[in-house]
Amino acid sequence: MGYTLVYTQVLEFLPYLIKGAWISLQIAILAFFGGMFFGLILATIRTFGNKVSNKIVICYVTFFTNTPQLVQIYFLFFALPEFGILLSPYIAVLLGMTLNAAAYLCEIQRAGFLSIRQNELDAAKTLNFSLVQQVKYVILPHIMRVLFPPLSNHYIIMTLGTSMAAIFGVEELTGRAFNINSETFRSVEIFSLTALIYIVITFIATFLLAVIGRYFFKAKIRIIQ
Amino acid sequence: MHQIEIKSANAFYEKLHVLKNIDLNVDKGEIVSLIGPSGSGKSSLLKMLVGLLIPKSGKIFLNKTLINFHNQSDLRNIREQIAIVFQQYNLFQNMNVLKNVCIAPTKIQKRNPKEVNEQALYLLEKVGLQDKLKSYPDELSGGQQQRVAIARALCLNPQILLLDEITSALDPELVKEVLDTIRLLASEGMTMLIVSHEMNFVKEVSSRVVFMDDGSIIEINSPKNIFEKPSEKRTLDFVGKILKEK
Ligand SMILES: Nc1ncnc2c1ncn2[C@@H]1O[C@H](COP(=O)(O)OP(=O)(O)OP(=O)(O)O)[C@@H](O)[C@H]1O
Ligand SMILES: [Mg+2]
Repeated sequence: MGYTLVYTQVLEFLPYLIKGAWISLQIAILAFFGGMFFGLILATIRTFGNKVSNKIVICYVTFFTNTPQLVQIYFLFFALPEFGILLSPYIAVLLGMTLNAAAYLCEIQRAGFLSIRQNELDAAKTLNFSLVQQVKYVILPHIMRVLFPPLSNHYIIMTLGTSMAAIFGVEELTGRAFNINSETFRSVEIFSLTALIYIVITFIATFLLAVIGRYFFKAKIRIIQ
Repeated sequence: MHQIEIKSANAFYEKLHVLKNIDLNVDKGEIVSLIGPSGSGKSSLLKMLVGLLIPKSGKIFLNKTLINFHNQSDLRNIREQIAIVFQQYNLFQNMNVLKNVCIAPTKIQKRNPKEVNEQALYLLEKVGLQDKLKSYPDELSGGQQQRVAIARALCLNPQILLLDEITSALDPELVKEVLDTIRLLASEGMTMLIVSHEMNFVKEVSSRVVFMDDGSIIEINSPKNIFEKPSEKRTLDFVGKILKEK
């Protein structure tokens, strides 16, 4: 092999890459919380709704969990302009990831609803807990404990998924790696450094989530899978 | 004085007619035991008294006051006076032992937390759980969870205590402890309704025994009579079967 690794040239771009990582993080966080919110609405409909609304939610979830996310974003980015809706790459990616996340997070949150134990609610009622107190002392702590690990996992998956944005020209971490690559052609160095930054981001997130989960919700989360 | 008066109460789970024309009076300070085969409606009767199962017809009086089960303030009122220990304990899984016992007295009854804490420690020591204060329910055995549930109910200082199968998960020595506690409480005037399969326990503590079968009360009698010369054939069959199993 005649290729010698030279990181000095690439390291100059480190601040540039880190700023890209910040954009990746933004997309992940916004799409995650957007997906949580929308997913909560879907999960509520799915749990308490009637037959018709249930079917609609099921179709939505089935569609978004059975087609590639990339295709979904392509659709938003290239097909919607045909209908006169023009989205910037950043918004298309953000919207696509949010809609996709909503489908997965709907299912996760629904599992949380279903795991509420009637036994405990009966006890709370006979102890004269008001509805708000039931939610505060019994339902939420339990749901958070059950949901925290799968939600954390999904957040990490989404963080890595943000690299798709590069395909649409968003200058997040992977997009910036593409840019440097076409200037310097130091592909191995660039993408190994990029991978390292992703590892650092996900590791920090996993660590923080595990600490929060264990401390606040007694959720059992391992830091290294 | 009748503290609880149930007059031809009927209750349903969807289509299942689970309580049929129940008539039962319980006086203050009385210990009434409910016996009967599995599925006969014993737990359901207790649940009805705390408003978890709403009677469809009939009248229930608590301290001479007619209860409207569809009125929130009536429900709150009965639940202030009646505490229940569930057959499945129904502890809060996300709270440790001490918190399970203290939460309602502090957050709902708004009593002084320090005083509640002292009472909780006293009760938990009495049921032998002083070493488990910080444990969570899923770290405890069935018998231990049951004792937490007993302490939780007692810490509410109820006038009436409903106990569903409280001896089933306890060791014989603990049964004696619990029995002593129950007698003591009864002597202090607490009214109790107890579901139990433990016939010796029933014989020893009860002032009266109610035999239920298939959602109906078949016989109400003294503990001596119900085991030695019951007036109904179905009671005789049931008691005979249970005594033979021993
Ligand atoms: N939540 C419920 N929904 C529907 N049916 C129920 C429910 N709880 C109890 N039942 C039914 O009601 C009947 C009476 O049940 P209950 O629990 O009162 O019996 P039990 O006398 O306490 O029995 P055991 O000795 O086994 O505890 C049974 O046929 C049971 O299947
Ligand atoms: Mg029962």
